Amino acid sequence: MHLVHHLEEVMGTVVTIDVYAHAAAPSVEITPLVDRACLLLHQADDVFSTWKPDSPMSRLRRGEITCAQAPPEVAEVLELCATARDLSGGWFDPWALPGGVDPTGFVKGWAAQRALDALVSPLVTGAIVNAAGDIAGFGGPGGSRPFRFGIVDPTAPGDLICVVEPPAALATSGTYERGAHLIDPRSGRPMARVASASVTGPDLGLADALATAVAVAGGDGLGVVEAVDGFEAMTVDFDGSMHWTPGFPMAAIGEAAPSAGGQGPDGSRSALPGSPGPNR
Amino acid sequence: MRRAMIVMAATVAGLVGVLTFRTTPARLTLGALPGASVTRTAPPPTVAGAPPPPSSTTTTGAPPAPGPTTTTTPAPTTTAAPTTSRTATGASVNYNWGVMSVSATVTGTRITKVFIASLDDGGNSRSQSIDQQSIPILEQQALQAQSANIQGVSGASYTSAGFAQSLQSALGKLNVK
Repeated sequence: MHLVHHLEEVMGTVVTIDVYAHAAAPSVEITPLVDRACLLLHQADDVFSTWKPDSPMSRLRRGEITCAQAPPEVAEVLELCATARDLSGGWFDPWALPGGVDPTGFVKGWAAQRALDALVSPLVTGAIVNAAGDIAGFGGPGGSRPFRFGIVDPTAPGDLICVVEPPAALATSGTYERGAHLIDPRSGRPMARVASASVTGPDLGLADALATAVAVAGGDGLGVVEAVDGFEAMTVDFDGSMHWTPGFPMAAIGEAAPSAGGQGPDGSRSALPGSPGPNR
Repeated sequence: MRRAMIVMAATVAGLVGVLTFRTTPARLTLGALPGASVTRTAPPPTVAGAPPPPSSTTTTGAPPAPGPTTTTTPAPTTTAAPTTSRTATGASVNYNWGVMSVSATVTGTRITKVFIASLDDGGNSRSQSIDQQSIPILEQQALQAQSANIQGVSGASYTSAGFAQSLQSALGKLNVK
């Protein structure tokens, strides 16, 4: 087993790519996979950036081109955004944002998921694409263990509030460090009803969109996500209270959490300190 | 809008109940997690399935310039880590309020210090209050994340993401995962 760790500056941030390869896999065989993943990230940025005035997305927003004149992935992404809007009960709505349609809340996760798919290879046992905290992964770090990720405590951003083992994707949205950047599609005004919302599921694009939706919708959003097959959600209120759907893949939460009142039907708290953890 | 919210609430009211409880100070601390290392004075032990600590013999000089970097970590053969401290500064990362870079000091494979190397938020007063609130705690988080045997951190942020990414860049230069 060896690890190829790559950092790529793209989409206004740095994306981390970690590839866990078989020991026998030569690095020269892994590098092209990483290059391909990076290429996909840059292509997505070039097409969808709303910061680049000449990107097809920017031109579309200004009405200079039609969707049919844009690269085909624009129509693909907007269609997926429409699906996400419907699945989110309208709480995620790129068409309700000031300044015209803006799929940014979906594209980062979508692009990271596409980049991850480029890393699939018989030589690879696991890989992660971490786009500024929105994470897509497959496989694991070695053996049969899944990847584990920490979620930041929004009420104390230096601390982790829990650790999860998502099936494939983990996205978190909130306002605690970006100010009120989330827009309530029902009012067109900035709004967030929880400090942060995390969503896990089989696809990072939709997880990203649903996390945005839950951050705006608040507690009601948990039920919305639960109704979406394969997706689970967790919210942290402004007072630090946590709520999550029964299937949320919680691996551990803070040791100061009370021991009563939160037992889930799936025993999701059994990995707490002092308790025998599940054999995962 | 109010009507819409009521409709929404009615829509979800019948859905499966959601787990609820308070975690007032819910803090993950060293040793709170399954598999977490509780040894702070030595290189972390190799936990089954954990990302392998890099061999000390593979340490090379830090790349001279920030930017995309790729490092390859060989198979885990935990040997005595060097006791000398090494420091590197990660790539400058754009975050919502400006540009920041993070430096990390490692002793062997253990992070011993993390600090903001540069922070330019353009004098934005809103940014400053956010930075002052979030950054000192983030430094603790970086240490915490390493202790928790996790492969990444998810958070709604630009600042913390920028911090984490620059830190990872610094650690990459030091051949520390």
